[in-house]
Amino acid sequence: MEGDGGSEFRQWCLSQVKGAIDDDVTEADIISAVEFNHSGELLATGDRGGRIVIFQQEQESKALPQSRGEYNVYSTFQSHEPEFDYLKSLEIEEKINKIRWLPQKNAAHFLLSTNDKTIKLWKISERDKRPEGYNLKEEDGRYKDPTSVTTLRVPVFQPMDLMVEASPRRVYANAHTYHINSISVNSDNETYLSADDLRINLWHLDFTDRSFNIVDIKPTNMEELTEVITASEFHPLQCNTFVYGSSKGSVRLCDMRAAALCDRHSKLFEEPEDPSARSFFSEIISSVSDVKFSHSGRYMMTRDYLTVKIWDLNMESRPVETYQVHEYLRSKLCSLYENDCIFDKFECCWSQDDSEVMTGSYNNFFRMFGRDGQPGMTLEASWESSSPRCPLRPWRVCAGSRRNDDEIGVDCLDFSRKILHTSWHPQDGIIAMATINNLYIFQEKLN
Amino acid sequence: MEYKVEAHRIMSISLGKIYNSRVQRGGIKLHKNLLVSLVLRSARQVYLSDYYSGVCLNTQHVEAKEWELMDSNQEKPLTPAPEESLSPSTDCNQNPEVPVVPEDPEVQHTSQAVEDSTDLHSVSSKHQAEEESSSEDSTTDVSLTSSPVTCESQCEAKGAEVSSSDCEADANPATVTEGNSQQPPKAHSCSNRKRTAEKTASNDSPVKRTKVTSSNSSEEEAEEMDTGNVSNLITIFGSSFSGLLTKESSEPEAETEDSDSGSGQICCDQMLKNLNPWSTAIVAF
Repeated sequence: MEGDGGSEFRQWCLSQVKGAIDDDVTEADIISAVEFNHSGELLATGDRGGRIVIFQQEQESKALPQSRGEYNVYSTFQSHEPEFDYLKSLEIEEKINKIRWLPQKNAAHFLLSTNDKTIKLWKISERDKRPEGYNLKEEDGRYKDPTSVTTLRVPVFQPMDLMVEASPRRVYANAHTYHINSISVNSDNETYLSADDLRINLWHLDFTDRSFNIVDIKPTNMEELTEVITASEFHPLQCNTFVYGSSKGSVRLCDMRAAALCDRHSKLFEEPEDPSARSFFSEIISSVSDVKFSHSGRYMMTRDYLTVKIWDLNMESRPVETYQVHEYLRSKLCSLYENDCIFDKFECCWSQDDSEVMTGSYNNFFRMFGRDGQPGMTLEASWESSSPRCPLRPWRVCAGSRRNDDEIGVDCLDFSRKILHTSWHPQDGIIAMATINNLYIFQEKLN
Repeated sequence: MEYKVEAHRIMSISLGKIYNSRVQRGGIKLHKNLLVSLVLRSARQVYLSDYYSGVCLNTQHVEAKEWELMDSNQEKPLTPAPEESLSPSTDCNQNPEVPVVPEDPEVQHTSQAVEDSTDLHSVSSKHQAEEESSSEDSTTDVSLTSSPVTCESQCEAKGAEVSSSDCEADANPATVTEGNSQQPPKAHSCSNRKRTAEKTASNDSPVKRTKVTSSNSSEEEAEEMDTGNVSNLITIFGSSFSGLLTKESSEPEAETEDSDSGSGQICCDQMLKNLNPWSTAIVAF
């Protein structure tokens, strides 16, 4: 099943690859966040150097009606700088952890970006006209001698080359003691939450000097700490509901109407552990690395190290669907622990119609699951072995060290190449994902 | 036995990760360190339970029973021989604040300082002599067969670092015994740690532990982010590990070597094989 391209599966074609082709990539260029905006026209990426690059989809070309527009660089700016906390003698990394777009209200675009400690609201706006014909200034800006002015005229706007400006409108700082792992904009478009390891804060977009703590799981005695918050998201439709995932594999749904401090969950989504699968690393691999609501708001998807689980919000006892992402790694957990791969946090995303889910894996593979309980499809993000407009061929992973055209042994997998960050276009069959040094964009092949 | 080797290796790796996390950019990551400490604890449980051959991974129920047995035994022998380098044992049930045997109050104070958590103060006051049969029982609470005490104590030397992590990190309540609110496995591992540390350098280690503890706890307060788990693990590991984190590392390393050489003389070959990688791992830091 997995090897079969399948008529029921979409077929994907490599559309674009962004970034340096060479293997020598600096740490700062490693992409750490990928996010489409609400219309899908813009695609933002953040990297470990604190920069954000925004791509814009060009208008659909008349020549190729079957193909959607390509994404080209729209704006690049430095979002976060490295900082130093003098009180704790700690360096604060400038790595962008998450980017979240605000729904568009006017011509400008707004996004929230965060590093470990500080969240910033950026306004990205276009300027394609500028005033010309000042009375007191020359065109180059020098001031005229007032006595030389004999007539007056009204300055007029003249077209100019498009300039995209990014300006920080708000800086939300000093609210988190631990590392921020998630931000999520509320459906009310006024508030958003930010979550670190032990606390979740609620902000109003307009106010940077205050935030409300809505979840606090810090124990009085830190020695009793057993779990941390790993991911958090607002419900897409209900502005009072949010969820947060924990390192123990459980997800809690909270209702802000119930209390000011949502320490007591309204729902607890937890699947009992399978005692036969217990190992040293059971606790690590059950840690939730990402949680995403479906567009409909009825379902929720969680990603842990080896699986993707789909939960119905009405049923807390167990997920309605579980998909194995790379079960062949279960026997290799010890090596993955040694090389730190077991701590990788993979993201997951829903298709635009909630009919499929996608997540990343190692060896630059990514997995597509069709919500039908089937094992899913394994595809590779590789510019060397894919040609544009040619459907990707699915891979199979087997035991041992074989390597064929469509089959690869577990021992041949490259664990340094991984796809952690993925995003699905909100309305079309377009997916974007980041390998270590490149951004890949795939489009669904339309027939 | 391969489980033991594996567990041992995992423990070494975990300690390495915790140590490295202190120097990496961006500060200590709470989530990762928590997970590493959980792995450390799991490995330690397997390691200790697997060490004593023929032992099944048994329940705390049995441990609790032996704990009660040991408690009743301990009522009588309160003071060991004076020449005993170890501080004498006190009944674990007794009020820890009252030094039952004030022969080495300094150590008792220190051990209390080391364990900031109130859960363990009664344990800290319980120091057992090696020759005492009760100590043998106490170690068997952790694993379930009796072995030569010397082997146990020296096994504790290796296991203590990890076992004591169980003290702090394991909040799971074991069966409560005799109204004592302390957890039996926790108590044992901590007492074992004490015994080990004291065996090597009774006078120096208390001072060292205090110093490190204070630096660690102040560090803990100053860097709220510095996981309580991490610094606690370090205090628990005792002088051998904590000494490595202080500037003067020579003495703690010597301590480690002392305990290792002492045990090496006594123990079987099996222990020796595992000793060397362990001490290597620690000294390598």
